[in-house]
Amino acid sequence: MVVNPREAATLEPQTSAPPLLETAGAPIRQTSLWRDAYRRYLRNKGAVAAAVLFGIIVLYCFLIPGFWFIPGIWTTLFDIDPNQVNFLETYLPPSLEHPFGTDQFGRDLFTRVAKGGQVSIGIGFAATIAILVIGVTYGSISGFIGGKLDNAMMRFLDALYGLPYLPFAILALAVIGTVSFWTMVVALTIASWFTAARIVRGQVITLKENDYVRAAHAVGARWHRVLTRHILPNTLGVLVIAVFLELPAVVLGEAFLSFIGLGINPPDASWGSLASEGRQSYQTHPLELWIPCIFIATLVLCANFIADGLRDALDPRTRET
Amino acid sequence: MAAFIIRRVVWTIPVILLVIFMIFMMMRQIEGNPFRRTERAVPPQVEANLERKFNLDEPVYMQYLLYVKGVFTFDLGPSLTQTDRSVTDIVKEHFPRSLKLGLLAFMWAILFGIPAGVIAALRPNTLYDYILMLFSNIGFALPAFFVATLFIYYFAVKASLVPTNGWPLGFWEVDSRVLLPSLALALYPMAYFARLVRGTMLETMQQDYVRTARAKGLRWKSIVTRHVFRNSLIPVVTATAPLFGLVITGTFVIEVIFSIPGIGRYFINSVSARDYSVVMGITVLTSLVVIFLNLVVDIAYGFLDPRTRTSR
Repeated sequence: MVVNPREAATLEPQTSAPPLLETAGAPIRQTSLWRDAYRRYLRNKGAVAAAVLFGIIVLYCFLIPGFWFIPGIWTTLFDIDPNQVNFLETYLPPSLEHPFGTDQFGRDLFTRVAKGGQVSIGIGFAATIAILVIGVTYGSISGFIGGKLDNAMMRFLDALYGLPYLPFAILALAVIGTVSFWTMVVALTIASWFTAARIVRGQVITLKENDYVRAAHAVGARWHRVLTRHILPNTLGVLVIAVFLELPAVVLGEAFLSFIGLGINPPDASWGSLASEGRQSYQTHPLELWIPCIFIATLVLCANFIADGLRDALDPRTRET
Repeated sequence: MAAFIIRRVVWTIPVILLVIFMIFMMMRQIEGNPFRRTERAVPPQVEANLERKFNLDEPVYMQYLLYVKGVFTFDLGPSLTQTDRSVTDIVKEHFPRSLKLGLLAFMWAILFGIPAGVIAALRPNTLYDYILMLFSNIGFALPAFFVATLFIYYFAVKASLVPTNGWPLGFWEVDSRVLLPSLALALYPMAYFARLVRGTMLETMQQDYVRTARAKGLRWKSIVTRHVFRNSLIPVVTATAPLFGLVITGTFVIEVIFSIPGIGRYFINSVSARDYSVVMGITVLTSLVVIFLNLVVDIAYGFLDPRTRTSR
């Protein structure tokens, strides 16, 4: 039952070797699944464009204002501090020095949006990775051991599905007490790891029935070897897709929380809190809302396209529909 | 069928208990006692009375059991900040408004999303398909708060087609004020339905029974309506429960933007005001709605697809 957009990641397991697209008579060149998938991905123009755009956004966010101890291109060039308040330069229109203009405190939006992007994308990736780590652990224990334990663990997950995503995240934030980058990651992870666990468990169960897994058991491989050498590597395809399906959900969730004021707070910025600031002056300065929202939308759209492209590339059989 | 329904209904009881338990335990972890925040020293007798009022003098498991009993008897306890209102009163007053908003949004989603998916599936890889799927992708990606703000600005402020805010308070009352919030909220489920219906219909069209129907000379129109469309609706029914949960959550931000006095806005205010019994009550209520919808969907699924009755 596909009940969740994120669950659409479930793939047919890679049971057979990828087709060799060589002309007859030519020496057969070894081709791995990943190289083959890479080639197929490159043929999908929409997915390639999405990946390039995604890369550009990430580079913009991390290079323009600088990250950690790396100085930023734009901040060094124009000597701009994204948190510097300057009441003489409020609401400047876009110019070379301030490509997106400035906000009500005279802060440069070009670097501020990039700083906010670091937070949004950072929370997105950190939470996604945490979700997948928990999901792989829970799902592979449940799927690999099977039997009563599997049943109990899945029933527990079914029950957790009754918890609504964002109220649960808000509750988790209230329990943690403070709102910061890492507490947002924890709250969003707690509220949304269930789907990944289900996907991995389903994948492990189908892989477990494969002949090569039986063969490994038959020649006396220990369970941990079977799990780590034969089963988990084959779930990698699904996990790579799952990254790009979870990411939009987390980014939108973070934006939502910050927008209603329960997430990242000023003077720190995320795309959600920037949009929230922008909404208040929308009538006079619409750019302040448009820019962070366009960034959120583009990132989500690109991630969806990348996920679709990866699915087609890793499992050519789904190409038909 | 009866046995299946009974089994499914009985199964929701431990689910409800577990969900309440998790929410309850989380609330217990929150630091601080709401009565000790005032600067004045509270006399010990007053504190003891307050603790008795909120059952805080009982051991934790009794508190949990009392809370569960309260949930089943529609008594969610008193509010911490509004001394004259109980959580049940607050829920009774605000929840129907959010429910109306959610149902209206869902109605739009079904009304526009499903036909869009059908049209796209009947003409795959044509201009219609591309345009509809482009809209669907945009609907997926745009945050609801952005769409809502644009709606207010362009339709309400600039064009003055509808009032900017306000909400008809009666559950059955509907006027032009419901239009913008419900449409803004409907965007995501609409896009979701369109995509889902397109995908499942294209998949169903490749099934053998559709080929058989074509081979025996049935008209394409009747194949689509009787074989393809009906079978494609099953995943739509399944998607309904989690999607409605998302819509109910989505009302939170829509209510803030459109100043609708619904449960979501109240929830956010309660989080800021640290009115934990209200926060807990609303979270439990939302969970119950999702659990109930899952139950309904599973039973509907049992009717639509006989195979599911035997499993589980």
